[in-house]
Amino acid sequence: MNYRLNIAWLYPDLMSTYGDRGNVMVLARRSAWRGVDANIVPITLETPPKKLRSCDLIFMGGAQDRQQKLASEDFLGNKAPLVKEMVEKNVPALFVCAAYQFAGHYYRPYHGEDIPGAGIFDLVTIHPGDQAKRLIGNVVAKIINIPELTGIKIVGFENHGGRTTLGPKMLPLARVIKGYGNNSEDRLEGAVYKNSIGSYFHGPLLPKNPQIADFLIKKALEVTYQKTVELPALDDSVEIEAQKFIIHKVGA
Amino acid sequence: MTFKEQMTVAVGKFVSWTSKTFRLGAGATWPGEIALFFSPNILRSLGSQLSGGIILVAGTNGKTTTSLMIKTILEHEGMMVVHNKSGANLLNGIVSACIDMATGKGHIKADWGVFEVDENSLPIVLHEVSPKAIVLLNLFRDQLDRYGEVDVIAEKWEKALKYVNSDTTLILNADDPLVSFLGKKATLKAKYFGLTDTSLQAKTMEHATDSTFCLFCGARLSYRTVFFSHIGDWYCRACGEKRPRLDLPSWKSPLPGLYNLYNTLASVLTARTFGVPDDHITQALKGFAPAFGRQEEFVIDGKTVKLFLSKNPAGFNASLRTVLECKSRAILLALNDRIPDGRDVSWIWDVDFEKIPDAVTVIVTGDRVYDMAVRIKYTRTSLIVNRDSQKSGLFVEPDIKKAIQKGLDQVKNEETLYILPTYSAMLEIRKVLTGKRIL
Repeated sequence: MNYRLNIAWLYPDLMSTYGDRGNVMVLARRSAWRGVDANIVPITLETPPKKLRSCDLIFMGGAQDRQQKLASEDFLGNKAPLVKEMVEKNVPALFVCAAYQFAGHYYRPYHGEDIPGAGIFDLVTIHPGDQAKRLIGNVVAKIINIPELTGIKIVGFENHGGRTTLGPKMLPLARVIKGYGNNSEDRLEGAVYKNSIGSYFHGPLLPKNPQIADFLIKKALEVTYQKTVELPALDDSVEIEAQKFIIHKVGA
Repeated sequence: MTFKEQMTVAVGKFVSWTSKTFRLGAGATWPGEIALFFSPNILRSLGSQLSGGIILVAGTNGKTTTSLMIKTILEHEGMMVVHNKSGANLLNGIVSACIDMATGKGHIKADWGVFEVDENSLPIVLHEVSPKAIVLLNLFRDQLDRYGEVDVIAEKWEKALKYVNSDTTLILNADDPLVSFLGKKATLKAKYFGLTDTSLQAKTMEHATDSTFCLFCGARLSYRTVFFSHIGDWYCRACGEKRPRLDLPSWKSPLPGLYNLYNTLASVLTARTFGVPDDHITQALKGFAPAFGRQEEFVIDGKTVKLFLSKNPAGFNASLRTVLECKSRAILLALNDRIPDGRDVSWIWDVDFEKIPDAVTVIVTGDRVYDMAVRIKYTRTSLIVNRDSQKSGLFVEPDIKKAIQKGLDQVKNEETLYILPTYSAMLEIRKVLTGKRIL
């Protein structure tokens, strides 16, 4: 396939806590295996925002509190407006865990003032207090709002204290079969907006869910090249086995 | 020691005897657990009997080896040492080790206590004992679902150190910014070890680095030398903070690997602090045998098998570096997701498996064999992942026994099969290799 694909990786040194880079590796490798000339473009504090304009796909991962604070000022001030503009223009983006919360309007901690988000996604996150348990564990869900992928099961691991509620502009990504999802109450997980996705499946969401990786790659190429793109199938047998293991383990 | 405490020790000893006699376990945690139920502060009376004192060793990686080295040096000095050698490093493990060395009346037959302590348990243990020295090795991301973030652990430690007796000495890794920061924050006497030999520097920066931002001002840290992960000769351009002056910059390590060099430095500096002469230390560590599962060697049918316990990204990267320097032909990776391993295996994406050349055969096994298979698949430029193909160089074998056999088939006589397992996988593999339970 005679295409180029630039994958923006936001804050690889700050927002990459627990295997987040697996997502970028999978996007790059699966593109390359199909002959797409894929490049990973690290975007961090010192990177000029205009570098984002050359990118066709955006990824942002989880962070520890101190690191997120360091990234926060630069992101909200310099890069988020451009990311928002790109997402509105159908450029696919993937926000995982802390980045998913950060893409919303705000995060309301138990104590103290609201932490402003980037407002890329119409959602809010609230921490219900010290006594509320952290939502930790293996999770299985069924995709409901990506037409090409509706009905397929996705698996992952979640570990979050904040509870996220979607606004009217967002669609939930999936329905939880086992685990907690966005807030442990409405049995919904993640969010979809245009071609972009947010998820609490932290760290490596894409390695065990290659269908989502291919969806993002396909949309990125279609938006950039303005035509329908069909990706050749790959042998995903080990990914499917890894998926099956979790589904079996949690009894979903 | 009160009568109740004496009874507690007696009950603990009985539990220990029962569990060993009836092979219910190694007696590493239950005696302590039950003793703590009857006398929650039992460690205070047990620990206060140690006339030499107590040394605690904490950190993400290297606790077991470092505490074993310190014990070895002290024993060489003719001291009796109580030590939680099985790696049971919560409060109950430390109490169990003391009970094991105590008489039925609760008298400990030892001069020193050398205990490795779990990162989260350090504050709890410090509540019960006043150690002579606290050795802090490093902080790396490890089992996020269990330990939380490294910054959170550092904060807990900082708080706990505020209440420590003022004659306690901190033995700190100056090359880990988070650990040396604790020394600057605490009012205790601190001694620092670290490296100056720039020939040991890492050739490329690893991805899994945690603390590369200044804890004083938040700016990005600079390094004169990075040895591995975020460990190195660091300084801050913005506020001028830098690595503290080293009290011990080099020593000959009895074991291969950069990690063990740091473990050695920590042990030697601790021993020196208590007046052990340098030549005695050298003598004591000559022929030091590694702790179980840590570079432990077995010979099977004329082939050598070497186990490198690898339980988090920094540890795995260090093991890989050592193994690849040994020009290995075959590597077996064993990934489990039980409680001691952490249920979340996401961290395998932070390990730089890309450094394994395509020519090296990789065998994957363990509970999460397919997660590891996926990880290795994405390190390979070509897309051949046949389950049993010689060509692909990747073998996927869920059964640990068969995986070891497959690994042995890949190496010639006189060659070595390197096995990198997570904790519970290491115990399983050891059981297969030795034909018996651990310890």
